[in-house]
Amino acid sequence: MPSKILLSGNEAIAEGALEAGAHFASAYPGTPSTEILETLARRGGIRSEWAPNEKVAYEAAYGACLGGLRALVSMKHVGVNVAADPLFSSSYSGVNGGLVLVSADDPAMHSSQNEQDNRQLARAAKIPVLEPADSQEAKDFTVRAFEISERFDTPVMLRVTTRICHSMSPVETERDRSWPKAPIRDYDRNFSKYVLLPANARPRHTFVERRMEELEEYATSERDLNRIEWGDRTVGVITGGVAYQYVREAMPDASILKLGMPHPLPRELVREFAEGVDEIYVVEELDPFIELQVRALGIPAIGKEIFPLTGELNPDLVARGFQLSGNGVSSGIDVSSGHAPAAEGPASPTLPVRPPVLCAGCGHRGVFYTLSKLGLIVTGDIGCYTLGALRPLESMDTCLCMGASIGMAHGMEAALRAAGDERRVVGVIGDSTFMHSGITGLINTVYNGGSSTVLVLDNGTTAMTGRQDHPGTGVTASGEPGGLVDISALCRAIGIRRVRTVDPYDLEALETALEEELAADEPSVIVCRAVCRLVDRTPIAPSVQLDIECPGCGTCFELGCPAIEELDGAAVFDPEICCGCGLCVQICPFCGLHIEGPEELEPV
Amino acid sequence: MSAEQSPIRNVLLVGLGGHGVLSLSRIVAEGALAAGFDVRKSEIHGMSQRRGSVVSEVRYGKVVHSPLIPGRGANVLLSLELLEALRHLHRLRPDGVLLVNDQRITPAPTGSGPVEYPEDAVERLRELVTDVRVVPAHDVASELGEPRATNMVMLGAFAAITSEIEPEVWVQIIESAFRPDLRPVNLAAFRRGLELTSGA
Repeated sequence: MPSKILLSGNEAIAEGALEAGAHFASAYPGTPSTEILETLARRGGIRSEWAPNEKVAYEAAYGACLGGLRALVSMKHVGVNVAADPLFSSSYSGVNGGLVLVSADDPAMHSSQNEQDNRQLARAAKIPVLEPADSQEAKDFTVRAFEISERFDTPVMLRVTTRICHSMSPVETERDRSWPKAPIRDYDRNFSKYVLLPANARPRHTFVERRMEELEEYATSERDLNRIEWGDRTVGVITGGVAYQYVREAMPDASILKLGMPHPLPRELVREFAEGVDEIYVVEELDPFIELQVRALGIPAIGKEIFPLTGELNPDLVARGFQLSGNGVSSGIDVSSGHAPAAEGPASPTLPVRPPVLCAGCGHRGVFYTLSKLGLIVTGDIGCYTLGALRPLESMDTCLCMGASIGMAHGMEAALRAAGDERRVVGVIGDSTFMHSGITGLINTVYNGGSSTVLVLDNGTTAMTGRQDHPGTGVTASGEPGGLVDISALCRAIGIRRVRTVDPYDLEALETALEEELAADEPSVIVCRAVCRLVDRTPIAPSVQLDIECPGCGTCFELGCPAIEELDGAAVFDPEICCGCGLCVQICPFCGLHIEGPEELEPV
Repeated sequence: MSAEQSPIRNVLLVGLGGHGVLSLSRIVAEGALAAGFDVRKSEIHGMSQRRGSVVSEVRYGKVVHSPLIPGRGANVLLSLELLEALRHLHRLRPDGVLLVNDQRITPAPTGSGPVEYPEDAVERLRELVTDVRVVPAHDVASELGEPRATNMVMLGAFAAITSEIEPEVWVQIIESAFRPDLRPVNLAAFRRGLELTSGA
């Protein structure tokens, strides 16, 4: 008997994978996709793995699929760039068991460095796309994606966005929520299909083009995936994903063509819909993906003239767009206020901002304080430590993509030397990011005779995405002991002779290590090891005590520590979140702070 | 509740990362589902445990589409901090209710020039909203020995102004949401919030 449970989009995708009887799942953590694999690992009954990066995750899932299993691989939108190489070619070689790629896009960049629209990548790779509009569809479409994958011999992209992944809505599911595994398909060697030599790949490309035609027929005939909801015939709206919900909210009476499978576009269905209404609007987040294809059919669709090309949509933006269109349609939503930023709201624009900060006691803080003090050029990377770029630490020059810190440090060093510039460069990268794509960058530095200094900020977890394990922690996604990759040993093995580990809570040791490694005319790695405060919350020492009346010099404010508040110019310490890391004790010029404990920290 | 006028109930929950906003909004959504409503809940993760501003939206009613509250449509603004209440006030309906935890948390010094914490936050809130309920939730939770139960005191306050969902529903949700050893203090926090606000 079915029952209704509240699931996030990500939990629903995991539910769908279990319902489809999938056997294997792999992923690299990345907001907003992370909880898909976490849920699968927690639920059990499916082999769930963290891979060191998305390319490996895709390849592992693809290997499982060729071996006969149903496999799911999930990642954030930019992760698909990393996995693009195997993705594009596997489109040619096809599948054996079903293969579903979940691409979790992040319109508005709530936690990302760009807002690329991965429907475009799927089109370039020539694979079909399913796009759910709530948690129920997230589950149902996941099951459907496996069926489509096997029926049409193709990887399938399930494209979701932050507002689907991290929104919750009721999902109907079987009460006991346990499903049989899909039968494991036989693996048979298939040279002409699985070995992409040019002679094999050419006919496979022809197959791919024919497959897309067949998929378009399927997309047109499967009216539960792509459906018309007839309403007022003066306004016809083509939409999909979460934008469908905003259209229902803003234009409750309009006729709607809801595309659950936007690629390949069901052109016959679009024509049928267009003939039934006076005017066609396309409401979609980010790129005019559907809109341009509709226009290519000779249908004068209205879209990005009135709906934003950047950022995410919301009911107000959709309503405002229709009002802008000037066709007299009324949405019933008062768009005069709503999602206006706080500065435009009635509460006045003078409120202090509250950006995210490194946690009290975070092991990264001392590193960035020291980098700032030494005035170094810092090529940064992706993780919590990107917060070191913000005030007051402000000690990061670049943040581009996963692993870029190391390759960029090498190139920037070459540029500075060529220009006779005396400034010095360090690369800063987290432990999980180092495993993801830092290693090859470091090999490049060694091979090409660079002399960069790289700091690996090793907090023993993938912190920013919510503390996932990785090869450097030696614990698997399901919490079992796994193989352990030792970062220092790995660096030595690839030819770095100068590898050392420092305690990032010891500012003097940190500064000495940096000075020595920067002076060396060869590549070096400094591993700054301190466990993430969200992993180990036990206090490092009792919270800091103020011994004098604070004269308000403001030195400790430069740490940007949330446990230090400013009250009338003086420092006030919050014992509820201070964990006694001792950085402020070390830098207070009045020696006015101390920490009681077995190892009393002395000011330097 | 003006059920005929606005059949969907919109609750905007705000606070700081690490404050329990997201677990609170999940409980509110579970409660609405248990009471027989269609529910949508949205939130933004990522920076959520790092003391940045955190927003979650819960909508429930007969049928709900958008996970985001349209327009200035919040019937209830539930804030775990005073400054955050001011920041998100523009999304509260003129006839909406503000439930605010009487706690001020100064943003970490950013060195970006002084933008002072609004000392008159409560007065400004009272000036801008007709129905303000200031709840000493952090104090109450601290008295109970568990400051982290602040969000459950606020849930009690929300339950007190939410007649369409019976208090017993919330009790059941709390019991299933917390480990056995944490249930008593969270239930006590909920009950104190309920009493405090019912009397207001």
